Amino acid sequence: CSVLSPWLCVTVPCPQRSGSKHTSTPADNYYLARRRTLQVVVSSLLTEAGFESAEKAAVETLTEMLQSYISEIGRSAKSYCEHTARTQPTLSDIVVTLVEMGFNVETLPAYAKRSQRMVITAPPVTNQPVTPKALTAGQNKPHPSHIPGHFPEFPDPHTYIKTPTYREPVSDYQVLREKAASQRRDVERALTRFMAKTGETQSLFKDDVSTFPLIAARPFTVPYLTALLPSELEMQQMEETDSSEQDDQTDTENLPLHMSTDDSGPEKENASVLQQNTSLSGSRNGEENMIDNPYLRPVKKPKIRRKK
Amino acid sequence: AAPVSAAVAAAPPEGAMSNGVYVPASAANGDVKPVVSTTPLVDFLMQLEDYTPTIPDAVTGYYLNRAGFEASDPRIIRLISLAAQKFISDIANDALQHCKMKGTASGSSRNKSKDKKYTLTMEDLTPALAEYGINVKKPHYFT
Repeated sequence: CSVLSPWLCVTVPCPQRSGSKHTSTPADNYYLARRRTLQVVVSSLLTEAGFESAEKAAVETLTEMLQSYISEIGRSAKSYCEHTARTQPTLSDIVVTLVEMGFNVETLPAYAKRSQRMVITAPPVTNQPVTPKALTAGQNKPHPSHIPGHFPEFPDPHTYIKTPTYREPVSDYQVLREKAASQRRDVERALTRFMAKTGETQSLFKDDVSTFPLIAARPFTVPYLTALLPSELEMQQMEETDSSEQDDQTDTENLPLHMSTDDSGPEKENASVLQQNTSLSGSRNGEENMIDNPYLRPVKKPKIRRKK
Repeated sequence: AAPVSAAVAAAPPEGAMSNGVYVPASAANGDVKPVVSTTPLVDFLMQLEDYTPTIPDAVTGYYLNRAGFEASDPRIIRLISLAAQKFISDIANDALQHCKMKGTASGSSRNKSKDKKYTLTMEDLTPALAEYGINVKKPHYFT
């Protein structure tokens, strides 16, 4: 019987021990149960043939072949049936399939009548796990129309329904005004305390210095000086606008110098103001007063190149 | 309508209709043996009503469904399972022949026959499958 079946002219690798799977889904269990049944069937056929024992690899090979054979018959019979514009396969489709696969159909009745026959029980049918009544919560969502009826139901709604946990922000006018006012007051307090901690303080109480610090008020000798002198920003703008006029610059420079000589002695504020003015032109005086506190140092502007 | 019926009537001029099969005139003479083209196994299918093959219907049906084959008749399923069984048992018988040949080839035992314990090994299975065109390669090592 050297019949060559064309569908099997491939190299079938010997099935080895499959790697252990830690998780198996119900579909896998389903598949494995039937696979084991096929193995039992193969073993019974081998026993019928006269073998006492068999190699594991041989049994696996035959099981794999049996499974492939059944699947191939099914696929081929379905193809033949659809080839003639039908949907239900009939006996003729199967006969043609078997003939195409090299199977001698005539011998089948004789084989069926052989004496020793073994019957294997079918694998048990497991039902889908049903959540007990006590644990169900809420109504399951019904199937939409595009899902067939034999599909499993939707799970309980508590598994997928989301409830947001944020609250609506308060938009009451009165509450918002209060909030804004209290925030502003807190900011003022924090800033003044910071200034008191980092600068000079005066205290109202003789012994207790730290309880109610007040920022020290240092009177200017020439109070109107800061009002007369232009601020840094204005100086910068003046520099940029009249670029060719050197006289204006020297005038502005001379002004504070002249003013300072009038004073009894250069005070800290004056010196710092002078320092700011002269630093604009890019040069510094000899009498620099570096303030230790970095937060109270004057701002160092980047050197601006004058366009000529 | 008249010419149509005349054509129909004239279609099989001298052929005899037997068993629903059109037998040509030459066949009726005895030159060619007629082949009755009824589907084989029809009678056998009737006998499968109360027959349970070794493979359960549920298992065969499962694999057929995976291939897209929806069986309308449970007897069809039994037929397919029988065919698959026969396929495997044919191979098993061939392997048994190989095994027996190896046992008594050297002529070691003349007085007593080979002991009845036969073990199916890959060495016997491989040539049996080779006759069917199936080449099985066994790796020399197992990972």
